[in-house]
Amino acid sequence: MFFNSLQFAIFLPIVFLAYWFVPNKSKTSQNYILILASYFFYACWDWRFLFLLIFSTLLCYVCGLKIESSANQQSRKIWLWLCVAMNLGFLGIFKYYNFFAVSFAELFQAIGFNVSPILLDVILPIGISFYTFHGLSYIIDIYYDRIKSEKNFIDYSLFVSYFPLLVAGPIERATHLLPQLKVKREFDFEKAKEGVYQIIWGLVKKVVIADTCAIYANAIFDNYNSMNSLSLILGAVYFAFQIYGDFAGYSDIALGTSKLFGIDLLKNFNYPYFSRDIAEFWRRWHISLSSWFRDYLYIPLGGSKGSKLFQIRNVMIIFLVSGFWHGASWTYVAWGLINALYFIPLLVLNKNRSNIDAFKISFNFASLRTIINIVLTFAITCLAWIFFRAKTIQDAVSYIKRIFTDRHFATQYFSIERYNYEILMMILLFVIVEWNNRYKIEPLSGKYSWLKVSVSIIAIIALGIFTDYKNFIYFQF
Amino acid sequence: MKKFVVFIGKLLLITVLSAVLLDMAYTAVFLKSTQRNKIQHILTAKDKNFDVLFMGSSRTQNHMVAKVFNDKGIKAFNFGMSGSKLDETALLLKLLLEKKYTIKNIILDVDLNLNSNAYSEGVRAMYMPYLHSSETIRQHYQKLPDYNKLYYIPFYRYIENDAKIGFREMFFSLVNKKSNALYNDGFFALRHNGKNMSYDLSDYRPKRNLAYEEIKSLCQKNNINLIAIATPMCQGSDSDAYFNAIQSIYPEVYNYEDQVTEDQYFSSCGHMNEKGATLFTKIILNDFIQNKFKH
Repeated sequence: MFFNSLQFAIFLPIVFLAYWFVPNKSKTSQNYILILASYFFYACWDWRFLFLLIFSTLLCYVCGLKIESSANQQSRKIWLWLCVAMNLGFLGIFKYYNFFAVSFAELFQAIGFNVSPILLDVILPIGISFYTFHGLSYIIDIYYDRIKSEKNFIDYSLFVSYFPLLVAGPIERATHLLPQLKVKREFDFEKAKEGVYQIIWGLVKKVVIADTCAIYANAIFDNYNSMNSLSLILGAVYFAFQIYGDFAGYSDIALGTSKLFGIDLLKNFNYPYFSRDIAEFWRRWHISLSSWFRDYLYIPLGGSKGSKLFQIRNVMIIFLVSGFWHGASWTYVAWGLINALYFIPLLVLNKNRSNIDAFKISFNFASLRTIINIVLTFAITCLAWIFFRAKTIQDAVSYIKRIFTDRHFATQYFSIERYNYEILMMILLFVIVEWNNRYKIEPLSGKYSWLKVSVSIIAIIALGIFTDYKNFIYFQF
Repeated sequence: MKKFVVFIGKLLLITVLSAVLLDMAYTAVFLKSTQRNKIQHILTAKDKNFDVLFMGSSRTQNHMVAKVFNDKGIKAFNFGMSGSKLDETALLLKLLLEKKYTIKNIILDVDLNLNSNAYSEGVRAMYMPYLHSSETIRQHYQKLPDYNKLYYIPFYRYIENDAKIGFREMFFSLVNKKSNALYNDGFFALRHNGKNMSYDLSDYRPKRNLAYEEIKSLCQKNNINLIAIATPMCQGSDSDAYFNAIQSIYPEVYNYEDQVTEDQYFSSCGHMNEKGATLFTKIILNDFIQNKFKH
């Protein structure tokens, strides 16, 4: 059940009505309705994996209780590692086993041993990377006494399985979400209205921007050998907007949907393409994942304490793991590595936190420098996206090599019966709207909101792609 | 909550109104447009008398040079549409008849389309703007499972077929940008010369085709001489078995599959280039003049 599907458009109002109009409304009944809706939502993808989700939930719930009730540190540690190992074990089997088996076989073949790997015939359970991380953050927080374990299984299950965030995040923290689930929610018109605006803007990002860009990006990436330099550059730009529109659009719909139930989720994107350096980009892109890695991997590794070499090691680990989290492919690892290489100079020069303030653009030299920095950051981000999008690292390298060696900059006509400039106007308009609203959650609220909402709805109906590319990219992770 | 219900009500109203207005606007643009495709040409053309019409798929559009006939004083037009199956060709013929065209002969390429009773989503999409304005199109598509959605939900037909009749096509229709479908009396020339071409027809089996039989019946009722043909494939197609099988089901089909074979005449295995198309049309013209097709 995609967020941009008719099924979801039917499902959401039903859950909304049940949630707010249930007799004897209480926190318990609200949570029961949400957990039933969430399991139904998940079962619509593949009901068999519902058991895995429930098992993972139960595992973390029990381990959380055990850690808290353990009399000594040794026992706490055992329960922590049992939970971590089992959760990562599931993730490893479903997501990474075949990749490692094939990679090792290839390695052995390269050194002269003929090995045929035993592969598992399994499909990746949707959302497994996200709900595994939910559970892990919860259990680690209990271990470090940051939170108390949750005694109510329904409340805890809802924390893990809450349908707006279940399949592609944001990756929530128990400290943020659980307290909201422990109290009865009262309907707040302003919050619900904001949620609806966010859903509409998320749909614009997804069906108008991302899915249209996908048509062009696919046409270019799938035929990059016959594309000229201009098309290849534009292909990377189209993919940058595809993945942003897709994932930020999804996150907007998730956050907006949750607001309809009176629950706030963590912000996942903060206009990342307006970042002035790569460090700022990573504070604005997939914020819930970046902060998860910061809190549960980077800081435990020592973070920014210690020597520069030590810090560089930690940064490398974080980015490589982050790349690998996205999928079992060397292209994601390369993407993580490239971002680490972008980041390390800033770290070495102590400039990784130099762009944390808000900025204004006016007619002066400082503003020009800011704009140049934004454009350069976007350019290097696009370069890294080529690795993320390409099927293999060789393809990505060939793609980039062709950008610099082809040196033809004429407009090309694609097999999709379109020219490569046709979408640029739409992207430009989108960038202008986002730029003018970069300090707001979404651009529809405020002055002339009805006009802006109407234009957005017309854009969704008239310009949206509803027949292809329905899937959200991050659902595969 | 009451405020929220009113708020959602307003949003729904905006959505419905937007869909209605967009539907009206798009339909108006497509109804006025004349330059984009052959359906529009049928609906808007003034000249309605033809000695020969070529109909079928891209293997008609790219193979039949109407000019070769026109130069001999035989008034012809190529109504072949890339991707079209016989279902859409039957509808095109019905539309021609609805619009009172006078047609003496139809040369219909049937060959590969007899492999199934399938339809073309792409060509079907091009009929959708006229669902409300043409009784023939409405009746033809009444059989569709989602007919009610297409007919009654405003703008649904444009959303469902956005690749073919979405914003981009509407915009080009609005500015009356000419498409290449109507150049050269409907013939679209392929320029490329193919090499080492092949086409696997081993899974192809000609079957009884309802749309073809409907075309035959329409032609009979309207005194149109229907000439069903199979057009050439490249040498590497291994197609003899398939084309022979066609004649066991429909003996009236004239098999021209091996009349042009050399690679120099082909752009791809199933499509001749301009040189091949001209050569092939001359062969057909010759047989036409010699009354080979008179039943």
